[in-house]
Amino acid sequence: MEQNKEMTAQESLSLITETLNSSRKEITRRSAKYYILWGTLLTVFSLIIYFLWKSTDKAAWNCLWFAMPVIGYLVAWVGLGKKQEERVSNDVSRITSGIWSTFGIFACAVAAFTIIFSHVHVGTDNIGGAVRALIALGSLTGEIVLIFGLAESACGVALKNWVMKIAGFVTGIGGLCSYYITGASHDQMLIFTFAGLVLVATGLIVKHQYK
Amino acid sequence: MLPKLDPLLHSELRLAIMSILAGVEEADFNYLKEQTGATSGNLSVQIDKLAEAGYIAVEKGFKGKKPCTTCRITPTGTEAFRNYVKALKRYISAGK
Repeated sequence: MEQNKEMTAQESLSLITETLNSSRKEITRRSAKYYILWGTLLTVFSLIIYFLWKSTDKAAWNCLWFAMPVIGYLVAWVGLGKKQEERVSNDVSRITSGIWSTFGIFACAVAAFTIIFSHVHVGTDNIGGAVRALIALGSLTGEIVLIFGLAESACGVALKNWVMKIAGFVTGIGGLCSYYITGASHDQMLIFTFAGLVLVATGLIVKHQYK
Repeated sequence: MLPKLDPLLHSELRLAIMSILAGVEEADFNYLKEQTGATSGNLSVQIDKLAEAGYIAVEKGFKGKKPCTTCRITPTGTEAFRNYVKALKRYISAGK
């Protein structure tokens, strides 16, 4: 690109339009790696918890979920952050980042309050407070998968990407329906596996779309 | 009478820099270099010219141990960019 090239009005306007579009596409493409990262983690964690829960018949393995955001942020910060030497942000990237942060806060808060309140309720029950809390935690799958799908669809709206909009709907509504069918057993972990795989697929499709 | 085009913006590289910055909150030097395909030296000179005119704000810092230059468009720059686009449209409609 030269700084002294004589341009016509039409060329200048075309340059502006092309640059703005290219920049928007680049930001969308860069968001794909985070979808792949979180989708992979979700798939791996759900499968680990599924097999541990199934083999030991203990819902307590749900506690492992709390390790996922720790590992995810660590990988994003150490691995992806170092490679991301070109820093750029716009309103859309800020909105999508805000949507996922809000989802994370809601999911953790719902889990935390479920543990607290189920513990309070236990009172004179024979069942142990911690056990009851973990059983209650296992019954949150439907709600969490629904807000997860909502977050993904909302990101699709912000990024004007139909793949994300549809994937979010399929994950949220499909996940909720599957939860009602499978009930509170280890099988519900497979809903999260499905959600994780959809997230990875979304990331790969977005990456391919804006190659 | 057609308005005069801002000479500072009527340059391919400077216009590309302004167009990128108009669509983002902020962008660092490497991103601008990648998007415009310009050489570091050339890009640096044009960024300085835009900064001197008050069209963009340049912040120099460090990201870890590496130096990092971040640019963002200023309200003056936004106004100049808007006026430039308006003028371009008038040129194009006058030519039809």
